[in-house]
Amino acid sequence: MKAPFSAYLTSIAPGIKKLIDLLGNDYEYVSALATDSPGFAVRVSRHGTSVGGKTMTTERGIVLRLYKDKKYSEYSMNRFDPDAPEKAYEEIKAAMAAQEKILQATGTKVFETEVLDDEPLTLFIEKETEQLPEEADISALVSFLDKLTAECMEKDPEMVECMSIAQSTHISKMFLTKNRDLRQSYVYSEGMIAAVLSREGHTEDSYKGVSGLAGPEIFAQLKDVAPDAVKQAQELLNAERIVPGEYEVITSPEVTGLIAHEAFGHGVEMDQFVKNRALGKEYIDKRVGSDLVTMHEGALCAENVTSYAFDDEGVLAGDVTEIENGILKTGICDALSALRLGTQPTGNGKRENFEHKAYTRMTNTIFDSGDSSVEDMIASVKFGYLLEGMKSGMEDPKHWGIQCIITMGREIKDGKLTGKVVSPVLMTGYVPDLLGNISMLSGDREVFGNGGCGKGHKEWVKVSDGGPYMKTKALLG
Amino acid sequence: MANNMIELIKAALNNSGADAWMITDTLTEGWEFYFIRHSLDQNRAKNVEHINVKVFKKSEDGKFLGDASDEIAPSATEEEIKKTIDSLVLKAGYIKNPVYKLNPPEISGQPDGSGFNTADISADFINAMNELPESADADINSYEIFTSKVTTHIITSGGTDITEIYPSSMIEVVVNARDKDHEIELYRMYHSGTCDKAGLKNSLIRTLQYGKDRLKAEKTPALEKADVIFSTDDAVEIYNFFKDKLGAAMLVRRMSDWEIGKSIAEAKGDKVTLTARKTLENSSTNFSYDEEGAPVRDLVLLNEFVPENYWGSRMYTQYLGLEKSGIVYNYEISGGSRTEEELRTGKYLEIVEFSDFQVDSLSGDIFGEIRLGYYHDGENVKIITGGSVSGNMNQFVKNMHFSKELVQYNNVRIPSVTRLADVTITGAGN
Repeated sequence: MKAPFSAYLTSIAPGIKKLIDLLGNDYEYVSALATDSPGFAVRVSRHGTSVGGKTMTTERGIVLRLYKDKKYSEYSMNRFDPDAPEKAYEEIKAAMAAQEKILQATGTKVFETEVLDDEPLTLFIEKETEQLPEEADISALVSFLDKLTAECMEKDPEMVECMSIAQSTHISKMFLTKNRDLRQSYVYSEGMIAAVLSREGHTEDSYKGVSGLAGPEIFAQLKDVAPDAVKQAQELLNAERIVPGEYEVITSPEVTGLIAHEAFGHGVEMDQFVKNRALGKEYIDKRVGSDLVTMHEGALCAENVTSYAFDDEGVLAGDVTEIENGILKTGICDALSALRLGTQPTGNGKRENFEHKAYTRMTNTIFDSGDSSVEDMIASVKFGYLLEGMKSGMEDPKHWGIQCIITMGREIKDGKLTGKVVSPVLMTGYVPDLLGNISMLSGDREVFGNGGCGKGHKEWVKVSDGGPYMKTKALLG
Repeated sequence: MANNMIELIKAALNNSGADAWMITDTLTEGWEFYFIRHSLDQNRAKNVEHINVKVFKKSEDGKFLGDASDEIAPSATEEEIKKTIDSLVLKAGYIKNPVYKLNPPEISGQPDGSGFNTADISADFINAMNELPESADADINSYEIFTSKVTTHIITSGGTDITEIYPSSMIEVVVNARDKDHEIELYRMYHSGTCDKAGLKNSLIRTLQYGKDRLKAEKTPALEKADVIFSTDDAVEIYNFFKDKLGAAMLVRRMSDWEIGKSIAEAKGDKVTLTARKTLENSSTNFSYDEEGAPVRDLVLLNEFVPENYWGSRMYTQYLGLEKSGIVYNYEISGGSRTEEELRTGKYLEIVEFSDFQVDSLSGDIFGEIRLGYYHDGENVKIITGGSVSGNMNQFVKNMHFSKELVQYNNVRIPSVTRLADVTITGAGN
């Protein structure tokens, strides 16, 4: 079935268009992004269950972007009366005038920017889904997760907790200007199961997730990954500490995705180029990785949690080849940064929600596959680790440092897994070294869309990342 | 506040079959200013209302109490309100949490909220940033200012009716330093109620100096083990470990085994005393009531490493039989046995900038890539960058020391210097 576009947004569209007309008397450019995205989150654990209507992306509201005198301003609201757009117009005018007073009193200069393009464009897209979150059988889902977590608890007497989260969101967004009318609707879902084991005060947890451009039907897959979560937590409880040093490593697709995201995802967000905050700006058409490295980014390059048709600035989704055979080709760019840099936007202007500013943000960030087998990759390692599971990562685009907190490493000696597990593993290093040392890539790849991505320490959005198994060298501690 | 909307919701809730309900209506008037260098990239304003509704439903035998929550948009129609609430009552019925008592009723006066305004707070931030002593080799790259006036109104079926008005601010700052060969950056994020102009400027002046030092930094040597001093807000992560372990949910879910009255460690160093505080000066979370309508109060949670109380939501604190507990927003750590100066003796590595320092409250593992540190070998000081720290808090608590002097970072007041012994240091490589 098609995920139907919001009836609410359809009903307020004429009122927003009227508001755009009114603001058009005062501003050279006006756009409105209106959102209506309901969803649910079910959290089941052995010691407490909850059901709520909020996910990371549920929202209903409007953000207006306004341009005059080479300056961009925005106004976010969620009490719009489509029958009285004049009221919103007066409210916006008053707020902007009050802010202008402060800017003048503080002697603030404007970072002058050209006006956005407003060529006529219309689009109406409703993506396919099997189910809608609004129609999900929550009772059945709670029972399913309750049974699943109870079964996991029985697998090990040292299990102290098992929890599961199932979240599904039906996104509807409408972008309007004087000449544009873009509307899209799609459903994405993500689920997670976590096992917690404890022995004499030593506690470890492990989680496995499922995600996709799909409805609540995806949660059935949690049954397949639950045993892996328990097994990994058991291994972590018996893991040893790693001896810090530089090792040959093989990254699993989940860790490969984390590297893609932290190393070159953030590093080529071009709003950072405007601020001169990213080293990537100086490396366009230069080598940043081995010949094997090709990396794509864009809402169109995978079907996952952030595969939209247009971004939050009304730019159509893209598929950008950021790195081709080790050479950095281009970055990703939001609409305002593109104007400032004299380039084209790539469909990567995203907001946390209608209350937030748009920044250049990632969508699907993915390393291309190679042609090696995982068995051959392991056999090629003299002494190192197969790295599995991710906890978090942090970018450092100005210096190309990288920090990845990885769940565990499986020791490889003389081409064989020894059975020894180390945890936790903190991988750090210099990105061009890490990518420059990539010597093998497996033939298959996976994409993961659980969790979220911040810009610095805020502005959380959905992203996905992934790739194949990858052999390189890294500092582990 | 949309009183008519709230009355419609109350009426729908009272006719829904819910055994109890809570409405939280939050109105935010926010101003934001984004700067590249000191030029305005963009200005933003928002005026938004979020109405959250939670319903409770008891099982027929009275043994279970389920809840379900959702946001009702201020633009919702009467029909949408009824549909959402009916659905919540149905969903709450699916939840089989053991029954617990909800918070008793609380009534507040009507706060006037006239003590601050977003315009003045915004101007203070902009002026503070314009007054920094920048130079050709260390300056401000960019910053983002967020100020808001938040009004929260909580109403429950049990008779609670409380309103609070408070300021909430945040500024994110990126600092650059450069020499003829390269340029580096440092990142800072400050939360507060209103603008603490003097505190902000002092911290950024220090950060500008750190930036210059980072230009001179050498790669972190493979020290293997070192005593590490934390003297920035990264230390909050260390003390959050103690707060998290005392969370009622962690106890009920058996993810913490910290028992009341039983010391958490045999320690030869300083022992942590953690007290929840109702208010700390200019904290962005000086609330009279928590998000479930319970009064916020001062409460000793950990006394010299001995747990005295747990904190958390009504459900989990009730499961532990705690009547006078609630959610903690501000806390304070009592000072240690030594001065800052005494702690900065011998061999140690003082790290003032990480990529992202983290403490895993469940396992106790610590992690962080070093962006800037000062290694004191007993005689000389070497400025270092790269590599990482790791280890586990369950070991560090046995021999940690912290200063008598305290420092406040928004909603926590902690020792200004914290020293952990035998931290694993991974060098930055060749």
